[in-house]
Amino acid sequence: MTTPLLEAAATVDGARRRRPLTRVVALGGLLALAVFAVIGPLMLPDPAAQDLSRYLEAPTLAEPLGRDDYGRSVLARLAHAARLSLVLAAGCVATALVLGTTAGVVSAWLGGWVDALLRAVSEAFVAIPALLVVLLVSALGSGGIWALYLGLALAQWVEYFRVVRARTGLVLGSPAVEAARLLRLGPVHVVRRHLWPDLRQLLTTLASLGMVTSILAMSTLGFVKVGLQPPRAELGLMITDSFPFYDIAPWLALAPVTVLFLLTVCFLGLRTSEDPS
Amino acid sequence: MTETALVTDRGTDHALSVPRATVRHGTVTLVDVADLRIAPGRPLTIVGESGSGKSVLAHALMGTLPPELVAEGSMAIGPARFDLADRSGRRHLWGRELALLPQEPGLSLDPTMRVRAQVAEGARGWRPRDRAALRLADERLDHVGLAGSGAAYPHTLSGGMAQRVAYAAATIGGARILVVDEPSKGLDPASLDRLADLLAGHVADGGLLLTITHDLRLARRLGGEVLVMRDASVVEGGPADRVLTAPRHAYTERLVAAEPSRWRHAWTSPPTADRTAEPLVSARGISKSYGDHVLFRDLSLDIRAGERWAFTGPSGAGKTTLGNAVVGLASLDAGSVARHPATRGGRVQKLYQDPTSSFPRRVPLEGPLRDVLRRHGAGEDRLRSLLAHVGLPPEILRRRPGQVSGGELQRIAVVRAMLARPVLVFADEATSRLDLATQETTMDLLMTEVTGTGCALLLVTHDPALAAAVTEHRIELGQA
Repeated sequence: MTTPLLEAAATVDGARRRRPLTRVVALGGLLALAVFAVIGPLMLPDPAAQDLSRYLEAPTLAEPLGRDDYGRSVLARLAHAARLSLVLAAGCVATALVLGTTAGVVSAWLGGWVDALLRAVSEAFVAIPALLVVLLVSALGSGGIWALYLGLALAQWVEYFRVVRARTGLVLGSPAVEAARLLRLGPVHVVRRHLWPDLRQLLTTLASLGMVTSILAMSTLGFVKVGLQPPRAELGLMITDSFPFYDIAPWLALAPVTVLFLLTVCFLGLRTSEDPS
Repeated sequence: MTETALVTDRGTDHALSVPRATVRHGTVTLVDVADLRIAPGRPLTIVGESGSGKSVLAHALMGTLPPELVAEGSMAIGPARFDLADRSGRRHLWGRELALLPQEPGLSLDPTMRVRAQVAEGARGWRPRDRAALRLADERLDHVGLAGSGAAYPHTLSGGMAQRVAYAAATIGGARILVVDEPSKGLDPASLDRLADLLAGHVADGGLLLTITHDLRLARRLGGEVLVMRDASVVEGGPADRVLTAPRHAYTERLVAAEPSRWRHAWTSPPTADRTAEPLVSARGISKSYGDHVLFRDLSLDIRAGERWAFTGPSGAGKTTLGNAVVGLASLDAGSVARHPATRGGRVQKLYQDPTSSFPRRVPLEGPLRDVLRRHGAGEDRLRSLLAHVGLPPEILRRRPGQVSGGELQRIAVVRAMLARPVLVFADEATSRLDLATQETTMDLLMTEVTGTGCALLLVTHDPALAAAVTEHRIELGQA
């Protein structure tokens, strides 16, 4: 049993207070970015509308981020790029999470040949570097959004599968689940009271990391010109496109880099640390 | 007369004395004691139930309290004085003068180091690959009867062996003052006897010994002085043989009466079980071994309704495996176990050694218990009356398992088992981690329920006294 010493120490609630502040700031930042990504494209002009007479125009009040080398509004392009990044990343993470978690729970629960088969498939995916999976699929789909989505989701589900399978195995083997089985409480009880509460925090952390990975992978692919193709507004593409003008129009590169940085930091700040209880 | 004077003289030179010690956590006083004194040759044992502050006192003397706890007072070792509020002032004494044998030694040993190297680290002037220290470690291990285990890793040792390794590691530095914190937790009587011999040897060699325990047998064995603590203060003190046989304070009386051998309850007289009834569980020629280690061979038993069975033996003898096999949680190498139809549908329940691990750890207790109510068609009022019967308020169910004390949680586990209206309850060391008073309350509640419903009991324990007090059939394992 817990010693009285530890019981006394556990009642101090100082440690509990620290975490929410980071999370509140991160959540606020994400919300602001999301609002920008949702409302921006509706209110701002067409991101593809060119006006070569306004080549590399410096930021003004009417155009806070200036214009790029085709005279397109950088703010409008940024809003579209942010929307694309968030929606696509959320889609990839949701798909990978559902697929990986289901496979992980099924694998740990049923064991036997189902477990062996799922593990073999997952190991095949682990053997190929994640970026290569994305590259392969997106090369087959010649730069379409769907190919990118599929590639990113396939590259990520293994992570959820492995973590969930390991944790589920532990939970299902615990005396608590043995007691539930003796009480004949059934699988719904085991999932609802034992598995889900235990996996929830883990999945939140994995998902926020997954969002970061997806967003970065997407812009990396755009950056090396194998992801989405111009003239689509995409953060990685925007960074590459602005490189030739870094000395005369630094705001061009700074804008997408800042958005990328903020997205990453906010998602990382969203993670919950494992509750030791 | 002269003899007493001599002892006192020697005592003032080397004795440890604490004129006053208090420990607070916020506004709560955890410890408030005065005039503690440990003399050479006269060990001091502090007994009391969990939460009485005895472990906190030991850590306050060591200077190892967590920073949230504020200690005040002073302590003297011979002529040297120390301020209890100063945490770092006693650090240079650790291992050399003052040593702690911690609770659960299995957890305090480094799992990645071999035993011999680990023990050697505490030697004076130790350096990596220090031959003299390793030789000394071998000597110490030989002294505790583990000469052959120097190359072993801690996870391969039993609880009792780990305890003795921890003892060797704690005393290799030559510390004269040894503080032992709850050494009996999870140890079977044979291992505890061995440890008690070592502690007695330490005292005989002129060492000072402070033992914190809730095990009165250990306190009796060590002799010397006994202090009884309750709610942060000492209620009674004196020579062990006097305090533990003729207690003056009502609380000490209760504590002494809580020993299983002294239990007097309505259910202690064996019930009249119907020997002709069809057995609930009938095992025929069952065997189980792990590798070369045979747990049991060709064993047969019949458990009928209302009977009380105990499986006893030292740790590692296979008691729990046998119990699990009987209720159908473990596989067997040979033999068969037949279960009566009455045992189907969740009518066999188990109580665990560590109740915290037998509840879903991240949700409040309420939800899972409601699932039990729904599954077994018991009403809300049944839950309430059972809770009232075990003396717990319904509000306690809003907490998570980690936020409830072990004794309370084990009582909730009893309630949970009873909601399923079992015909057989398997209590696997269910009270071995509880202090004596809590053990008696928990056992009393369980047995009242068990006898009230005519259900059979299967008790796995390493405590022969408990088995004798509660059951009338016994199987003893691991005698070979």
